[in-house]
Amino acid sequence: MTLVIKGLNKTFPKERDKLTAIQDFNLEVKDEEFVCVLGPSGCGKTTLLRIIAGLETKTDGSIQLDGKEIIGPGSDRGMVFQEFALFPWRSTRKNIEFGLEIRKISAKEREKIAQKYIDLVGLRGFENSHPYELSGGMKQRVGIARALANEPKVLLMDEPFGALDAQTRNLMQKELLRIWKETKKTVIFITHSVDEACYLADRIVVMTSRPGTIKEIFDIEWERPRDRASVEFATLRKKILAELEREVDRFSTEIASSSSGD
Amino acid sequence: MNAQTKGFSAWLKITKNRDRLQTFVFGLIAVVVFIAVWALAADFLDIVYLPGPLQVFDAFITSFSQPDPSMGTTMWQNIWASLQRFLYGFLIAFIVAVPLGLVMGFSRKIELLTKPIVEIFRPIPPIAWVSLFLIALGLFWGPIVVIFIGVFFPLLSNIIFGVKSVDRYLIDAAKTLGAKRLQVFIKVIFPATVPYIMTGITIGLGIGWMCIVAAEMVSVFGGGVGYYIYINGQIGRFASMYGGMVVIAILGIITVGLSRFAENRLSKQMGMK
Repeated sequence: MTLVIKGLNKTFPKERDKLTAIQDFNLEVKDEEFVCVLGPSGCGKTTLLRIIAGLETKTDGSIQLDGKEIIGPGSDRGMVFQEFALFPWRSTRKNIEFGLEIRKISAKEREKIAQKYIDLVGLRGFENSHPYELSGGMKQRVGIARALANEPKVLLMDEPFGALDAQTRNLMQKELLRIWKETKKTVIFITHSVDEACYLADRIVVMTSRPGTIKEIFDIEWERPRDRASVEFATLRKKILAELEREVDRFSTEIASSSSGD
Repeated sequence: MNAQTKGFSAWLKITKNRDRLQTFVFGLIAVVVFIAVWALAADFLDIVYLPGPLQVFDAFITSFSQPDPSMGTTMWQNIWASLQRFLYGFLIAFIVAVPLGLVMGFSRKIELLTKPIVEIFRPIPPIAWVSLFLIALGLFWGPIVVIFIGVFFPLLSNIIFGVKSVDRYLIDAAKTLGAKRLQVFIKVIFPATVPYIMTGITIGLGIGWMCIVAAEMVSVFGGGVGYYIYINGQIGRFASMYGGMVVIAILGIITVGLSRFAENRLSKQMGMK
């Protein structure tokens, strides 16, 4: 699997003007890589992910998955949402089977595949529970299993642990790394948490404030599991935080000067 | 289920029972006070069009055992005739409103095309159509179509609202799982709208009964509670007229209650409450 993004631009119409959300974004994601995209809020990182998912159209540029241009949503890219987006009327098993039903896989085969992913994400015993009976962490386990059951080439995660409490969040990060190792999936993970990115990623892509483009890319080659208390972890975190802060400052001064100029 | 959730559901059950008891007690107080005030007012005012609760109760009971002198039908026959009319009108409204509402909520173009027509007809009271329908459609279908009009619009609005309230992320999730437009409609929009359809049915049932007198104002095809109320009011048998109203109230409470029960049950079963 290779995902190549070249010269990506995205503008939204805004009254008489237009709003540039993403400008000249270039990135190549390698097979089995874990990439975190980090940026201040409103930098267009979620828009970027939605364009890769095919849920949003691009204005310019190209995104190719294994040499094929992405033109709409498809089961070769699985997505995990911050809002979980589970079908409330479907049980855990039925939620996981959704994509398989769409692909017209037989009921027997569906059940086998669903069970495999239920076991993978640690939801054995909750197969027949409905989303409202599950905690936030468990809901997101269903979300991950549902996306993986389709065997996508790449897993797109949009701040998947953003709605969870700190402890559940740390646990889910550990679980995600385990699942990632077992399934050998390529992951593109959107977050605004520097800590989360440093803990998870092979590569951290730091984005600028609007219009969003790449500010800097950090390669992290440390062993996993990573120690959050280590000196190198703290040093990297501090460095990235400083970058982000500069971005936020630059953006707010820009807004202040542009609105006073009106 | 672990011990904690078991404890929680037990606590929930106790609170629920307490809630139910309170609902019942307060409801009973309201009814008793209402009847008492009615009895006192009837006694005190002593006017012909306000008979006391006992007179109405008497007329109510008699209407079931003896045929009405001006109609020749018993209340059982009237109820049966009205209920049939009601069900036909309701069913036709349901069959038309559900697919139309789903499609109108889903496709912007279809909504833009149909909405002006719907908005023109919506505010017209069902009773305005009565004479036309009876002449054009006859004594059997005329009243049914009046009920249909009454039920159709609230049901339609609820379904359109339901489709528009479907969580955008559910549609996105379905798309990323490979669903095409039609599959999104069948597998996401429709199930997500079911609770709204059920609410629409409950509201539609209530409004349907409001139209029954209008629907039966002229027709006597096999009797009808609406006609019973109308004719007894016309000839000044007010106790019987009120007795007919009590019958409509009871029919309304039963049908709306059943519908609300089904609504809650279904939402719960679907994991949406």
